[in-house]
Amino acid sequence: MDIVVCIRQVPEVTDAELEINKEGTEILKEDLVMDINEWDNYAVEEAVRIKEAHGGKVTVVTLGNEDSEDVLRTSLAMGADEAILINEEGFELSDAAAIAQGLYRAVRDLSFDLLLTGVQCSDDGWAQVGVILAEFLGLPYASLVVGIEINEGTMIVRRELESNTEEKLQIPIPAVLTIQTGINSPRYVSIMGIQKVRKIEIRGTDSEELGLSEEEIGLKGSSVASQKLSLPPVGEGAEILEGSLDEICEKTAQIVRDKGVI
Amino acid sequence: MDFTLSKEQRDIVRAARKFALGEFPDRALEFDREETFDLDLWRKACELGFVGVFIAPSYGGAGMGFLEHCLINEEFWAVDPGIGQAILSTTFGSELIGLFGSEDQKKMILPQLVSGQAIMGTAITEPDAGSDVTSATTTAAKEGNKWVINGNKMFATNGNIANYILVFCQTDPKNPTRHERYSFILVQTNTPGYTSKKITGKMGIRASDTAEIVLRNVRVPLANLVGKEGEGFHELMAFFNRTRLHICGQAVGLARAALEESIRHTKDRHQFGAPLASFQVTQFKIAEMATWVRAARNLYYEAAWLVDQGKIDHALISMAKWFSAEIAVRCVDEAVQIYGGYGYIDEFKVNRLYRAAKVLEIYEGTKEMEKIIISRTLLR
Amino acid sequence: MDEIMVLAEHRGGELRDITFEMLTMANKLGKENDIAVTAFFLGHEASDLSERLKGACDTILLMEDPELANYNADQYLMAMETVIKSRNPTLTLIGHTAMGMDLAPSMAARLSLPLATDCVEVNLAERRLDVLRQIYGGKINAHLTMKPSDQYLITLRPGSFDAEVEQGKSADAQTVPAPSWTDLRGRQFLGYLEAELEDVDIAAADILVSIGRGIGKPENIPLVQEFADSIGATLSCSRPVADEEWLPKSRQVGTSGKTVRPKIYIAFGISGAYQHQAGMKNADTIIAVNTDPRAPIFTIAHYGIVEDMLKVLPLLTEKFAK
Repeated sequence: MDIVVCIRQVPEVTDAELEINKEGTEILKEDLVMDINEWDNYAVEEAVRIKEAHGGKVTVVTLGNEDSEDVLRTSLAMGADEAILINEEGFELSDAAAIAQGLYRAVRDLSFDLLLTGVQCSDDGWAQVGVILAEFLGLPYASLVVGIEINEGTMIVRRELESNTEEKLQIPIPAVLTIQTGINSPRYVSIMGIQKVRKIEIRGTDSEELGLSEEEIGLKGSSVASQKLSLPPVGEGAEILEGSLDEICEKTAQIVRDKGVI
Repeated sequence: MDFTLSKEQRDIVRAARKFALGEFPDRALEFDREETFDLDLWRKACELGFVGVFIAPSYGGAGMGFLEHCLINEEFWAVDPGIGQAILSTTFGSELIGLFGSEDQKKMILPQLVSGQAIMGTAITEPDAGSDVTSATTTAAKEGNKWVINGNKMFATNGNIANYILVFCQTDPKNPTRHERYSFILVQTNTPGYTSKKITGKMGIRASDTAEIVLRNVRVPLANLVGKEGEGFHELMAFFNRTRLHICGQAVGLARAALEESIRHTKDRHQFGAPLASFQVTQFKIAEMATWVRAARNLYYEAAWLVDQGKIDHALISMAKWFSAEIAVRCVDEAVQIYGGYGYIDEFKVNRLYRAAKVLEIYEGTKEMEKIIISRTLLR
Repeated sequence: MDEIMVLAEHRGGELRDITFEMLTMANKLGKENDIAVTAFFLGHEASDLSERLKGACDTILLMEDPELANYNADQYLMAMETVIKSRNPTLTLIGHTAMGMDLAPSMAARLSLPLATDCVEVNLAERRLDVLRQIYGGKINAHLTMKPSDQYLITLRPGSFDAEVEQGKSADAQTVPAPSWTDLRGRQFLGYLEAELEDVDIAAADILVSIGRGIGKPENIPLVQEFADSIGATLSCSRPVADEEWLPKSRQVGTSGKTVRPKIYIAFGISGAYQHQAGMKNADTIIAVNTDPRAPIFTIAHYGIVEDMLKVLPLLTEKFAK
């Protein structure tokens, strides 16, 4: 089973206070810790597990800038075998279709049985790239995958639906799957894994080599004409309880009691 | 000049941080309160290769430098000092075996430390011999083909859980030169006559084992001498020139954690209708802490990097050690001040950091001893 | 043709709420732009079910075929391609659901349609489309203006509009033939798997005390349990807590878990990603505790406490112990 995994480096925002640039087009990322997109981390782990069980190799691909090499190195240390970096600042402000186009150009000539990627990215949250890639590649696919069972030339996958329901599908190989969080427990990176990365050369490429013009990437290559960011209004709707911790708790207790359900 | 870490070093930092963040926070309070540790965490760290990265590949290690060992210490300590110490102190003494041990000793011990099969410790301090190591009175006398060891050791890290303890002994008590009276002898802790008692009530790093050791007619083969007979004191100094480096990593990790906790709290906590971060007194504290952390880190990076290049700068190592330890104490003092009452409760991380910090100024050379070393090189 | 087309979503013989939510929005846009609204229903022996859309659109377009009995990307793609190529709707709406996330991107790629996914607001004026999305886990609002196009495709976030069954319409039903299934890629639907037997039914609880990432570690759960017990509440959680297996999946509130409507919902350390909000925003009273004043949960909560949940919990438990 040769597997390609498309991954992305994103800022960690769970505990961060976000600010927006003057133009209103992007958040300020200087102070944010960059890491592999959570969904993609599960995808890398799943690929490595399938390789460990069935043999083959895992190639990770990312589209970003020089710093994005970090997520490739992390994936290699987790057990991937090869890595491709599409180092192209021109992709900034691309919509999902333009990003998928860049990835497609980089993977179309690779030979693989499976292409995995995360369901979505924690930054833009389009949840599109994997499925578009499947269409570009003309391959069967499934999104929101929470279980994979590989058989001869085919596989059984489970997709997560709403309301505690899953659906079971059979899909021929090769195929594209987008991976949902919780499908596995991603491993820690080991020192041995990190040392293994020394021997691997990360292949670099850019839009020129991929035959993409400026018109095809970035905002120009997207369906979006412009994007204006803003912070959602603080506590819109909620009445923020003020005072000392004790007063706040007293108020809360009163609110709960007033509902008369206790 | 380039002050940036290599890509591989950044990989190590990220890996160590993720492991520590994933495994330590859930257990930190429990270990601290109960003065216990779960050795499974140590085994996990060994499986991932975090323990003994400076040990040569021929003995199962990663063959990296002391700087890399420091980086792992920094990340572990930034999450929890007690657990960081419990895991990474298990190779304490291997530096000396690596420098001066025989091939047989290296082959026997080092691979076990890396793979999580054995723990080691080093016993130097005695009830009446602290900074003044040449007043240590534990003796090792030759009897036939054995060393017979007698004496008491204090504050020995891992003394109750280690498989091997390196004991700093007087082997030539009558030598007119005090510095030539000592040797290191390796003791397997299951040897008859070796007893240990857990020292409880430590102020901090309570997940880490500390022992009082009693050696009564402990007989070990003559081949257990590590290094040269009578060279123990000089070997000890060479040993400290390695181990003091990772203390710097510990200190900077702790100081950085104090800074990070302070930043988080000053943004969240509102007093007098404004976040603490909006008060200049808080802003200055944060600015000072950040400066101290940066300065200490640069100092230890340089010292460790030089050691890995084969250049031992005794004074620089001492500077890095006392300075990083002192700023760790200072940073976490400010952090607790910023936290106010909450910082006084052990459920809050800054409280554990506060209690852990002080030992950095004491173990592996008090800051006073470090300053003596530095001034000697300046005034000789 | 000037038409807004809504792809009806159904499963197990039930129309999904998102269908009516999209129709609510479509009718609003249709009225503003004087455009008719068509609901496109794909199924097998399901014309009765499609009839329920009658009061909420101008036209029901029904395509029936055994291959369409359950959602499958292969067949749906071909069906959408056929219908969109013949009708050229100005705007096509699909739910940002497990089905829509699976279908819309490949459809956009196949038909070269501009696509904006996971929209919470949509405006159409003079054939220009602009949308509001929430990015970075709901911490940032993004207003997008799409490039001019004759046709647009969007997926709508569940819960963004009310699900009105009666919208003062009376639709005509038309049928369209299914295409011949020539370009299928071999994906086969095998069946649905329901969640395992549950320990408690959180949907039946009057009071839910719900925890998120802010709990930090499983050892803190007894602290919450104690509080929940003091007010007779049931414990529930957001996705990260279930992913970590700190609480069973059956306790998860949100799109992939349960939808709940308790009298009181107290959210501790839950940031409030929309997937969570969609599962609890109809609770009578929502109280949220979070250290981040900008946490999206505060936008739907009735009362907010900007504090560390671990500081609040013991004190709150004490208030009820008296």
